[in-house]
Amino acid sequence: MEHLVPIGLNHYLTISAFLLGFGLFAVMTRKNAIVVLMGVELILNAANINFIAFSKYNGGMGGIMFSLFVIVIAAAEAAIALAIVINIFKIFKSVDVSSIDSMKE
Amino acid sequence: MHSLIQLSIVVLLLPLLSFVILIFFNRRLPRRGDFVGVGILGTAFALSAYIFWTVIVQTYDPAFRVAWDFTWIDLGQVPGIGPLQIKMGIVIDNLTAIMLAMVTLISLLVHLYSTGYMAGDKNYGRYYAFLGIFTFSMLGIVLSDNLFSIYIFWELVGLSSYLLIGFFFEKDSAADAQKKAFLANRVGDIGMWLGILILYSQFHTFSFTEIYANLAAGKFAMSNAWLTAAGLLLFMGCVGKSAQFPLHIWLPDAMEGPTPVSALIHAATMVAAGVYFVARIFVVLTPDALHVIAFIGAFTAFMAATIAITQNDIKRVLAYSTVSQLGYMVLGLGVGAYSAALFHLVTHAFFKACLFLGSGAIIHAMHHEQDMRWMGGLRKHMPWTFATFTLATLALAGLPLTSGFMSKDAILAGAIGFATAEGGGVYYLIPVLGFFSAMLTAFYMGRQIWLVFFGESRTHLKPADDHHSAHHAHSTHDTHNDDHHAAHEVHEVSWNMRAPLVILAALSVFFVYSPNPLDGAQGWFMKMIQTPPTVVGSYQSAPSSEKLAVGSQQSATEGENSALSTQHSALSEQHSAPEAEHSALSTQHSALKESTQHSALTNERQAEIAHASHAAHFPAIYISSIMVILGITLAGIVYVFRIIDPDKTAEAIRPLYLFSLNKWYWDEIYDATFIRGSMLISKMLSWFDTNIIDGIVNGVALIVKKVAFANNSFDKYVVDGLVNFTAFSVNTTGAVLRKLQTGKVQTYVVMLLAVVFGYFVFYFTRLIY
Repeated sequence: MEHLVPIGLNHYLTISAFLLGFGLFAVMTRKNAIVVLMGVELILNAANINFIAFSKYNGGMGGIMFSLFVIVIAAAEAAIALAIVINIFKIFKSVDVSSIDSMKE
Repeated sequence: MHSLIQLSIVVLLLPLLSFVILIFFNRRLPRRGDFVGVGILGTAFALSAYIFWTVIVQTYDPAFRVAWDFTWIDLGQVPGIGPLQIKMGIVIDNLTAIMLAMVTLISLLVHLYSTGYMAGDKNYGRYYAFLGIFTFSMLGIVLSDNLFSIYIFWELVGLSSYLLIGFFFEKDSAADAQKKAFLANRVGDIGMWLGILILYSQFHTFSFTEIYANLAAGKFAMSNAWLTAAGLLLFMGCVGKSAQFPLHIWLPDAMEGPTPVSALIHAATMVAAGVYFVARIFVVLTPDALHVIAFIGAFTAFMAATIAITQNDIKRVLAYSTVSQLGYMVLGLGVGAYSAALFHLVTHAFFKACLFLGSGAIIHAMHHEQDMRWMGGLRKHMPWTFATFTLATLALAGLPLTSGFMSKDAILAGAIGFATAEGGGVYYLIPVLGFFSAMLTAFYMGRQIWLVFFGESRTHLKPADDHHSAHHAHSTHDTHNDDHHAAHEVHEVSWNMRAPLVILAALSVFFVYSPNPLDGAQGWFMKMIQTPPTVVGSYQSAPSSEKLAVGSQQSATEGENSALSTQHSALSEQHSAPEAEHSALSTQHSALKESTQHSALTNERQAEIAHASHAAHFPAIYISSIMVILGITLAGIVYVFRIIDPDKTAEAIRPLYLFSLNKWYWDEIYDATFIRGSMLISKMLSWFDTNIIDGIVNGVALIVKKVAFANNSFDKYVVDGLVNFTAFSVNTTGAVLRKLQTGKVQTYVVMLLAVVFGYFVFYFTRLIY
């Protein structure tokens, strides 16, 4: 087990980056609005990991507090976003984000 | 307010009321409303007669004067002028009272007369309206107490004169005559206005009394030459209005108006307004100005009399006679015979109105025949007209026992006195011209009486075509078509035309004015109208300095102003001997010397002239009587007994005859000088206008056009190009950019990321290098 590298800040940041990348990939490529929202959650959580990691290695409680705040906001965001999705479905009879382009006009 | 003032305001406004009623409603009133005019004038005359009675008969005070004024326009301090306050006011003194009664009486008689003369005219109602506004304006002149309001009314009489001269405006000659009258008056009025402005610039007031007081106090800051100029400019108003040389040319042409109008306006009242005005400003006139006035008057009197000799139109003879008599009045004022001139104004107004109305009766009876050559023998047909016309003629000629005799002799005596006082020489020309004109007056009036009333009727002698054209010209108010029956149809005019003749003729007899037929100075008129003390600066003429010294001594011994009035009342009681009268006169002047030291010497001169005039009274009577009798005898020799044939005489002195017949060629001279001159100037200005001014304007327009063209190109290619290019580039950019806006959220996210990524790339690249 000695050859194993102890887990440091870079590991966390790497995970966070991958999570951000997955999140962005989901947001940019998926057609289903629900999945897009899930991608957004991934991005938020990537940010949370960063906050926690920096908090742990730099000391201080700011990062932890901020991540808690983000979780709360994310909950509220999920509630509102799902409500929006339901409304979109009511109007367009679909949740396919690629077909909803009425912002063009 | 004095009750007389209130009355006079009513008198003033009554004719205006007549004008307003008749100008608007004459077609709705029975008889076109002529009874309104006559009735209102009757009332006005009754009130004026009451004023006359109160002032002249009851008060009988030479110094009587009531005045009232109010501020009409107050502009406060006007930049460049100073305080500008215009007052309107009324003054009633003896002169006003007399003029008031005279104007309303003659106006009333003319109104009455016109009911016969103008009957059937299509503009009958408007005629009465015009008479109303004329009477109003004339009364305004008479009552005015300041130069400004007198100027306003002055222009108003000019307007009414213009309207009435051109009353038969369908005739070209009438329309031309009215324009001529208006323009000639305009020339005079400009001068008058300048004169008013000179006095105003010095004293900041228009009021007569204030101007006199300021002048007497020596507040005239400019030189005496300016005062003379102011006097002569004011006199120009009189030259225009009273038809003095060189503006006399309009009055004979003014005879195109209806004959009663000629009687009222162009013989009795309006033309006399000029003389009245000069009398009002008499005390402002410097001796130099008075000399000019005297010479102009004398020359006018003589010139007009020579023209009157050869005229054939009955009204033109009277017109030139009017010019001549107005010349006498102006002459009288010029030589300082103030009361005599005004006396002549009044007596002339009555007998000349009588003559004009008489000639109107003749013209009416002759069916608008005005040429005396085709009259004759009317004595039997028109006895009333003949009697009154003859009486007025005698008054005009100045035979003893008539009013004209007294007034004309007073003027001539004044002229002799003036010439004596001035030391003779060229000044004797004035009385000589005066006496010669008196003879000519007697001659041409004798000729007129003979041609019109005596002999056989000459109607049939008239050339047919001439007759026809004359007849045609008057067809507007002549209903008779049969030319040759005119002579047989001649009959006396009706009572409403006869009554004015009789009244006016009665006023031409001596006892109306004076108990002594040989001396007007003993009558009420010349006692009530006294020469006002002049207020202009000192005057000294070398030959008379000795007499001046005597006058000064008298003034030292005699006393106060109050002495004056007692002296006068004593005078009026006893109708005293000439010596006493003269001493009273000099007392007046010496007393006034005390109050106005400044003008003392001039007043002494007045007294001296008065003295000399008095001495000249009897010589004047003799000479003028001889002249008149000579004139009448000559007329008798030529026209009654035909010892000298007038036609042969005319042939013998043909140049002189033509000179007189053509009115001294004044019209031609003015035509060649002023009219041609102004036409030439007009043509030059017209040329200048079409070629220079228009050239400049067109040139400017051309430049503007070229500039506009260049501007247009610039606009089209440069400005529009820039604008279009901007639009085009924006359009193109937009077309590219709009592709980016897909409306899909995911595209935006990609773009966002691309930008962030780009930023990082940029940032790190910077970091590395």
